Amino acid sequence: MKINKQIKNNDYEILSLCKEGDVDAFEALVKKHQKRMLNIAYRMIGNYEDACEIVQDAFVSAYRNIKDFEEKARFSTWLYTIVVNLSRNRLKQLKIQSNREVFSLNDPVLTDDSQIRIDPASSEPSILQKLEEKEIQQKVQECINSLDGEFKEVLILRDIQGFSYSEISDMLKIAEGTVKSRLFRARDTLRKCLKAGGGDL
Amino acid sequence: MDCGDIQEKLSAYIEGIISSEEKALIEEHLKSCQKCSESLADLRKTMEYVKDLEEIEPPAWLTQRVIARVRSEVKPKKGILQKMFYPLYIKIPLEAAAAILIAVTAVYIFKTIQPEVKLAKIPSEEIATQIPSQEKGKTPPTDESKKNIIPPSPPLEKGDKRGFEAEQTMPLKKPETMDKLAVPKAPVFVTKQEEIRSFAGALTKDEPSRETLSAAPKAKTLAERKIENISLTVNVKDVETCSKEIEKTLMQCGGKVIKTEFLENKIVLLAEIHPKAVNGLIEKLKLIGEVKEEGVDLEGLKGNIEIKIKIVKR
Repeated sequence: MKINKQIKNNDYEILSLCKEGDVDAFEALVKKHQKRMLNIAYRMIGNYEDACEIVQDAFVSAYRNIKDFEEKARFSTWLYTIVVNLSRNRLKQLKIQSNREVFSLNDPVLTDDSQIRIDPASSEPSILQKLEEKEIQQKVQECINSLDGEFKEVLILRDIQGFSYSEISDMLKIAEGTVKSRLFRARDTLRKCLKAGGGDL
Repeated sequence: MDCGDIQEKLSAYIEGIISSEEKALIEEHLKSCQKCSESLADLRKTMEYVKDLEEIEPPAWLTQRVIARVRSEVKPKKGILQKMFYPLYIKIPLEAAAAILIAVTAVYIFKTIQPEVKLAKIPSEEIATQIPSQEKGKTPPTDESKKNIIPPSPPLEKGDKRGFEAEQTMPLKKPETMDKLAVPKAPVFVTKQEEIRSFAGALTKDEPSRETLSAAPKAKTLAERKIENISLTVNVKDVETCSKEIEKTLMQCGGKVIKTEFLENKIVLLAEIHPKAVNGLIEKLKLIGEVKEEGVDLEGLKGNIEIKIKIVKR
């Protein structure tokens, strides 16, 4: 089920065709990368329709800017950077929107220091084991959703998509050390969140 | 190391990216600390859950929609954008080329029409001065120009009203105009007047048309003088050098050359000069070569006149 195996980088021939405006060649690239892009977007946003929109936008934007793509970076990395950035922007939009809306009972409970209040860890062996797989999936996504954007990105790219630290560092334009510290914090928050029985519960 | 420190490092511990010293410390702690061991287990479990998250499948329409958008949205947009925002390295040379082309074309056009402008200028200036003085009366200036253009058919159809008007105003003002201004415009009026008269006269034979009859010949003589220009023939040895000398002489006398015609063994200069300077010019020309005068009648001429100087090889 993992997609974290390295995608072969034989995009270059196709790329040069795309740069000449060959839409058919671009279609091949779309088919090849859409799944991974959609998964990144979906985990970032947590909503299937929005994720599909973002993937479309990302491809259109990639096609427009394909001439600016420098062969230094891997094409896939470049594409995923676009999708991460678009997802990030979408999240900001959603956040602004939800701030304007009247809060709902489903919103996470925020304290003064804007941290999610987490119930003290229970002493029982683990609530996690009892959850059905479907439920677990849902809980995990909910907890991912509750993460701040910068932690979410790193967690998705590393633990879900399996990129290396240096690749993530390239994509997000941050130092490898920062990638690591964010990742570890993200995992720890996620652990606490799951232990507490889910982000929104 | 307390539990807090240990828990912070658990992630790195799982990935095996810590020093062996730290690793030993953590393992030592884990043996004795139930809470931290649990945390480690939970963290491992969490990472597992995250990795086991199911992949979602893209909808079948995703590719089609992307390609449709790429084809429809990007292409025309790019076309327009590229037209509007050409990169500068294309834009600047393009604009420079366009500017040069426009400049060259302008110069070329100017050069081709220049002589016409020169010739047209003289009468047009006179029209400009003539019209206001002539139009003291009723008809606006535009009407005047119409009169020049429109053939005298209106008088034919509508009795003699128009012809009457034209004929009445013209002869009355003619003397004044003639005194004030040079003659070139006169022939036009005269010929027109004659036409009008011939039509109007034939039809109506009323007073004003007869007036015109008397006025017209007067104008005609004035005009004829202008047309039958003074013609000087200079016999010289070397036509070309002498023509230049003559041009200089002409300028000294306050005249200017309008046109130069080169013929075989002959150069004809068409020049404009004040009548009073003509005699002085003739004297000077005599120094250059043999001069024959034709039609030198300077009486009653005012303003600059045209003279023709033929330079003939002896």
